[in-house]
Amino acid sequence: MAKKEKVHMQHRALKNGITYAVLILISLIWLLPFVCIVLQSFRSFELEFGGMVDYLLPKTFSLDSYKWLFSSESKFFRWYGNTLIIASFISIGQTCMVLMVSYTLSRMRFKLRTLWMRVCLILGMFPGFLTMICLYFLLKQVGLTQDGAIPGLILIGVASSGMGYYVCKGFMDTIPKTLDEAARIDGASRARIFFTQIVPLAKPIIIYTALTAFMAPWCDYIFASYIAFGSSDNYNVAVALYRWVKTNDYQGYFTRFCAGGVLIAVPITILFMCLQKYYVEGVTGGAVKG
Amino acid sequence: MKKKVLAALLVMSMTAAMMAGCGSEPGSSSSDQGGQESQGSQDNQGGQESQGSQDNQGGQESQGSQDNQESQGGGTEAPADFDYGSGNITIWAADAVTGLTQEMAEKFIADKGLSDKYTVTVESVGENDASSNMITDVAGGADIFGFAQDQISRLVSAGALQQITGTGFDTWIAEQNDGGAAGAAMVGSNTYAFPMTSDNGYFLYYDKSVVTDPTTLEGVTAACEAAGKNFYFEVNSGWYQPAFFFGTDCQLTYDTDDSGNFTQCNIDYSSDKGLVALKEMIDLVSSPSFQNGSSADNATNVGAIVTGTWSATSLQTMFGDNYACVKLPTFTGSDGNEYQLGGFGGFKLLGVKPQTEAGKLRLCLELAQYLTNTESQLARFESNEWGPSNLTAQTSEAVQANPALAALATQLNFTIPQGNYPDAYWSRATSLADDIISGNITKDTSDDDLKKILEQFQNDCISYAK
Amino acid sequence: MKKVAAFFKGIGKELKETGLTFKEGDWKTKVSFLILGFGSLMRRYYLRGIAFLAIEVLYIWYMVAFGAGYLAKFSTLGTVETHMDPATFLTVYGDNSFLILLWGLLTIILTFFFVLIWFMNVRENRNEEQCLKEGKKVPSVKEDLYQLLDAKFHVTLLALPTLGIFVFMILPILFMVGVAFTNYDYNHQSPAKLFTWVGLENFKNLLSIGTAGFGGTFYRVLGWTLVWAFFATFLNYFLGMGVAILINKKGIKFKKLWRTILVMTIAIPQFVSLLYVTKLFANDGLINSYLLKWGVISDYIPFWTNPTLARITIIIVNCWVGIPYLMLIVTGILMNIPEDLYESARIDGANGWQMFRKITLPYMLFVTGPYLLTQFTGNINNFNIIYLLSGGGPQSMSLVGSAGSTDLLVTWLYKMTYTETNYAMAAVIGIMVFVVMAVTSLIAYSLLPSVKDEEGFQ
Repeated sequence: MAKKEKVHMQHRALKNGITYAVLILISLIWLLPFVCIVLQSFRSFELEFGGMVDYLLPKTFSLDSYKWLFSSESKFFRWYGNTLIIASFISIGQTCMVLMVSYTLSRMRFKLRTLWMRVCLILGMFPGFLTMICLYFLLKQVGLTQDGAIPGLILIGVASSGMGYYVCKGFMDTIPKTLDEAARIDGASRARIFFTQIVPLAKPIIIYTALTAFMAPWCDYIFASYIAFGSSDNYNVAVALYRWVKTNDYQGYFTRFCAGGVLIAVPITILFMCLQKYYVEGVTGGAVKG
Repeated sequence: MKKKVLAALLVMSMTAAMMAGCGSEPGSSSSDQGGQESQGSQDNQGGQESQGSQDNQGGQESQGSQDNQESQGGGTEAPADFDYGSGNITIWAADAVTGLTQEMAEKFIADKGLSDKYTVTVESVGENDASSNMITDVAGGADIFGFAQDQISRLVSAGALQQITGTGFDTWIAEQNDGGAAGAAMVGSNTYAFPMTSDNGYFLYYDKSVVTDPTTLEGVTAACEAAGKNFYFEVNSGWYQPAFFFGTDCQLTYDTDDSGNFTQCNIDYSSDKGLVALKEMIDLVSSPSFQNGSSADNATNVGAIVTGTWSATSLQTMFGDNYACVKLPTFTGSDGNEYQLGGFGGFKLLGVKPQTEAGKLRLCLELAQYLTNTESQLARFESNEWGPSNLTAQTSEAVQANPALAALATQLNFTIPQGNYPDAYWSRATSLADDIISGNITKDTSDDDLKKILEQFQNDCISYAK
Repeated sequence: MKKVAAFFKGIGKELKETGLTFKEGDWKTKVSFLILGFGSLMRRYYLRGIAFLAIEVLYIWYMVAFGAGYLAKFSTLGTVETHMDPATFLTVYGDNSFLILLWGLLTIILTFFFVLIWFMNVRENRNEEQCLKEGKKVPSVKEDLYQLLDAKFHVTLLALPTLGIFVFMILPILFMVGVAFTNYDYNHQSPAKLFTWVGLENFKNLLSIGTAGFGGTFYRVLGWTLVWAFFATFLNYFLGMGVAILINKKGIKFKKLWRTILVMTIAIPQFVSLLYVTKLFANDGLINSYLLKWGVISDYIPFWTNPTLARITIIIVNCWVGIPYLMLIVTGILMNIPEDLYESARIDGANGWQMFRKITLPYMLFVTGPYLLTQFTGNINNFNIIYLLSGGGPQSMSLVGSAGSTDLLVTWLYKMTYTETNYAMAAVIGIMVFVVMAVTSLIAYSLLPSVKDEEGFQ
């Protein structure tokens, strides 16, 4: 019996060993690009070369690229600030929109409800870039392109965000309706129930919505560059960094791109890690409930 | 206009609110929401209308044409009491010269005594972005912008370039610049831009320690292969690719009419000469040292690279003491003959956006002229090694002594001045070379198949001119 | 069919009632047919009256000042060309086809809404008369407002989102659908040139097979789009499940660490990581350089320049992006599977693989059915991955319109818009994407029972 147990244990240890090996391999693959970016960002611009090279470890470690980003020569922190502003406002606006829509669709029954949801479903099937040029000229009519690109991007980000109500509505559907009914018997209005009961209970999903909304603008290159062209003070950070690596005008900006990427990634990663619990809840809920 | 749209939005907002409310049971309060909002918008309404009408274009135009009668004197000198009006001028320049351009433009405005009336904004917008952005939205674009010459017909047909012929500045352009540059600034029989550089060509940079004999293509590839270095040649760009075809004496040009439409394509790629060029490309691509690319910044482990003057600074850093440059090499074709790689001689131009006010038009033209005159071109040469198109500047000693420009000048003997090409051509050229790079066409492909591909390419190119 | 019939019946009924209202109504109601809200105001329903009246005034003002002019040119999209005055060299702008199309469309929509509101106004009058006859109390302004926070709270909550969706989604989409029937391309750029209606010309061009036009390219791009969406969805799904099961295995330590490492890909902006990955896999990039240096390969591996390899590389890199999400989701679901199911299976002597096949997989598939559908449609429109990694390349002589071997419909659409400035064709491709999405969803609805339930929920 004891022998059998031992064999079993060995067998299990071997299995676990393989699992660990696989997990370590996976981790290495997943970390490789980030390690590379960080290493390259420390390559010396002055003593080595700012462009692409065919080796990983810098020959001379230095903070040249970071120093340059912080210097007055670059507008990096202006762009960084722009993106922060855009992301914060979109995060707040989008959360409000999504909350309003999902509460209504989850709790209230009215005549056009199904039509409303169907229209959203159909609109969602059109690719977003289709309307890019039209949105540009719509914004231009009210002066929200080029110099007004920041409010313009916020407006676009918030305006039609009500369509992304699925995950949040799914969550609200799981909040028992008896709570509302009890409150209504006590004479509370719908608005009161919304603010005092639903909103506090929906905290995880609110954080999830806000977090995803906050992270998206950091990646927005296409639309932001289409709206802000010719006004470098109003670029967001993705537009600027993308230009550094993709256009021929910028010679030897690659290490700076890496340094910029690190500066963007670090705070977002930290924020994400802190709120990861809510994110998991949202993603899982969204997938299961739809 | 803005206000009108705002009002329209308000109307819509109420409508939407009403719609949301109209699913009500009889007798309930369905329209309260609309009521609240409409009160607010009614207050604004009066103000909006009166303001809106001030914006309209008619007023501006009539003002403009009055001013302009005075400027009818011709030539590039404005009459002494000319009224330039006031406003802001936006300039788009490549990132490397934004600071310099800002200085020059401000100096110009100050010299004119217009500092209190005009402000100048210089934005860093690269030549490629500049043209696509101008085409997306002319009104939102810059008043003066730099672009590569191959975009000129596209810009003219999109209405993004002011016609210069007839203003007097066209004669100045023809007198001051080399013939190729002045020609490049024309579409049909009209001039549309101020030449800025005459260096938009390519030649070979190489590492002296790797390549000892840069005169033949075979030699360069062999040397790079031996040293395990990369040889960069962006064959999948419609700009670099003709080096092969023009080298074997093929031709590919387009004729345009005055409004920038393509009328005819002169091409003979589908011929024995074309076949030799295509086979040479296949040959080059099959070398393990070959890399497709022209950006010194993105290149690694470089033994040799075909690119233009803009890469000179980067490559000096990269090669150090082994930095060298020379005209493109020759190659021995599949028919046993020796050919010299050719290509395009191109130019960078400065364009002025069509204007609706006479004062500003005049000032923009004068400013563009100033930014492309001898001194400005020399200043750009000194700071960024941009090769001048200005005849006087070209004779300056420093320009003559520059190795990159010297290599370019030699290469220019084997190139044709770059004319206008439709957008579709560039994309098609990429497709042709991508087929080689991706292995759809290889050394094993039969001559007949290669000929078919060339014929298709030729027919496609012809179909773009109609 | 029934629905359509019911719809027309409804309209007929509405018209009949409108006629009756006019015939039987008092003079206030009759005046309201011309001056909206008049009846309500006279009957002291102030808020409603003012709202109706204001809408009429605004609508008339809008039409006179703005809308009518654009509407008149809507059928031609403008006739006055932009030209340069040869005497002054100044440019005189003519009609702007773009704005005519946009505002013309808006005017038509607003007019439609106005007609609806007119009917509402008539019905409101009828209701008010009814209420007064029955001697009901007229609700005060305060009561009306309170209703907006209670029974009519949905109106308050949905007003802003609906407005936003209308202006920034519906209007632009309708506009682009309109553009698909015009010749708006590089030769017809407003404001310098006019563009006009061409009917179904663009659709014919895109769908024709075996011509030099867009036909052949479209079907190839569509084919790859579907193949891509399939692999991107299901490969991620199963690999993600595998990783999650590995991490959640009993006896594995540092679960949180493994999870965190994977999740970092979600946190770091894609344009940084993916742009870097592109360079990493380039012919002259780090991976090839090191493999060459170590002598593993003698010639670089053309990760991006060989069409087949490029497609495979993209799908693999997409796993790198997608597995972490799946890992999170699957972890969540695994915890929900009742433990006693496994317990009883174990007693029956089932091994790990059998348990996975009989319990875990069916449960997962059932629960995540709708998610797979959204993933699939999402991948059809997955712009970032393709654009940042391969940019759609490599191109080929057998493809037209700048399309490359790895282009999805959506990246091709982007190229049409930005590189080729062929907006009409871009619009047609956009509509095709919509058709593909709609068809996929319909098929999925009929195949997946859980999707149906999902929609039927509530």
